[in-house]
Amino acid sequence: MSCRRLLVTNNPLLRNAVPSCDFIDGNPLAVLLRSRDYVHLGWILLSHPLYGNLRPHQHPYRSILLERPDGEPRPALDLQSLEYVENALGVYSAEKERILSDKGMPEGVRDDFAVIDAELMKESLSRYGLWPRESLKTDLLKGGEG
Amino acid sequence: MRLELHKVKINKLAWGDTTSVRAGVLTVNKEELLSVLAGDERLAKVDVDIALPGESVRILPVKDVVEPRFKMEGPGGVFPGMVSDVESVGEGKTLVLSGAAVVTTGKIVRFQEGIIDMTGPGADYTPYSGTCNVVIILENVEGIDKHDYETACRMAGLKAAAYLAEKCLGTPADEVETYETPCLKDAMAAHPGLPKVAYLYMLQSQGLLHDTYLYGVDVKKILPTFLNPTEVMDGAIVSGNCVSACDKNNTYSHQNNPVIHHMFRRHGKDFNFLGCIVTNENVTLADKKRCSSYSIKLAKTLGVDGLLISEEGFGNPDADLIMNCWKAERSGIKTTLLTDEYAGQDGASQSLADSCPEGDACVTAGNANEVIVLPPMKKVIGVPEEANVIAGGWQGSLAADGTITVELQAILGATSELGFTKLGAYTI
Repeated sequence: MSCRRLLVTNNPLLRNAVPSCDFIDGNPLAVLLRSRDYVHLGWILLSHPLYGNLRPHQHPYRSILLERPDGEPRPALDLQSLEYVENALGVYSAEKERILSDKGMPEGVRDDFAVIDAELMKESLSRYGLWPRESLKTDLLKGGEG
Repeated sequence: MRLELHKVKINKLAWGDTTSVRAGVLTVNKEELLSVLAGDERLAKVDVDIALPGESVRILPVKDVVEPRFKMEGPGGVFPGMVSDVESVGEGKTLVLSGAAVVTTGKIVRFQEGIIDMTGPGADYTPYSGTCNVVIILENVEGIDKHDYETACRMAGLKAAAYLAEKCLGTPADEVETYETPCLKDAMAAHPGLPKVAYLYMLQSQGLLHDTYLYGVDVKKILPTFLNPTEVMDGAIVSGNCVSACDKNNTYSHQNNPVIHHMFRRHGKDFNFLGCIVTNENVTLADKKRCSSYSIKLAKTLGVDGLLISEEGFGNPDADLIMNCWKAERSGIKTTLLTDEYAGQDGASQSLADSCPEGDACVTAGNANEVIVLPPMKKVIGVPEEANVIAGGWQGSLAADGTITVELQAILGATSELGFTKLGAYTI
């Protein structure tokens, strides 16, 4: 990717609302693994990789904002980002059998999870110029792959 | 600054023609209270109910709890920036309906609201089983945004609390508590020989539905600042949180923050309590770095020897707690951390998401994952099916007979990180 800032997310609500987005068709652990790949490529975390106030098995969505610093061709590895993402992977891996999936979840509950995840990211996305391309509507979820 | 809390003890609620207190009974004019709450276009329906300690009543999903208070004298009004003007508070006299509480219930973010049982084993875990609760039931207009619904619920709770106390102005207090804080010049010179300490008061601020307000200002937008502890008692800090119920610092627990009360009690004996530094818990790493550094800079500027740091929530905010800790310690300031744990149902998992070697003095408010069985209640105010989606519950938490099996996470205030909880330990 050539963009400098990127949202890695599995939240379908953000997929269509954020212009620079790497959408992961998987669970929160897959989002963390992809984010770790980016960190190893020299990207730095702009948002903390852990969710606030819910354990890994209590929410189906995870969104992480990263930035690629200047310094072509490949910036140095940011050790603090690596430490945070590895620690988060440790927390999620410990509960990987129980991580919540949105498959089969009642629509109202799934919408709540998607909206909260998006709300938690909104301020950060806005600050870094990635929010919003269009307003947030849970109708987007119903469109599925939009 | 000098603040007198004029506490009128409430041990019972009743409906009546006027809202007033007599012999510990708070009589509420239901129609008048509903008229105070009427007119909010975001709300389709507002109703009021009563729940008393010991009754077979369950309330869920609970959004917030607020203690009825109103200014008798002094600049400003209660809940400044919310129901009163933004004038500074924390001085003069404030009437407190001690033992009464306003509880708001509504399905805002369904998995992040809480349960209050007024009797049974669940009652042992929530401080709000011991308060006489005026329960405001709030239903939103179809299709409005969740944050608009949250705002409407928050304002309804604050308005109801202010209304109840205002109507009881003139009632003689059963007890008057006086809190006095000198100006910084005098405070610095006071109690030579005792260590100077401050309270680093972390407030949830991760998003529009994970927010706290200081004088009406969204805390995620502040830099850490100094606050006189008596300002908190007048409602300068208001909860707007839809986070896990057990360690949500609801407005009542801010008003009655036991950290502040205990630090006042030990002030001049064990240490010299200089005041509060309030800070936030934002999502971006840049904010976490900026606000932890700024908080510790304020602490260093005050010249404190020690900081008591309380957290709100868990997971992502653990990173803020830990940054605050090591930055203070490496500046020569001793810290004590107040948090809770998510150690799994068996207690074997890592309790905090982050840690540092400097965090060697830590107080826990308990393990939020401990499982509890809540037997059925005769009456449920709210929506019992929410037990299946509430954080700490799961599909099947609610049995056909009304029994609920959940983790303590679902019980309001069960592991309060302000220490406003029924769990505790004693040195014997």
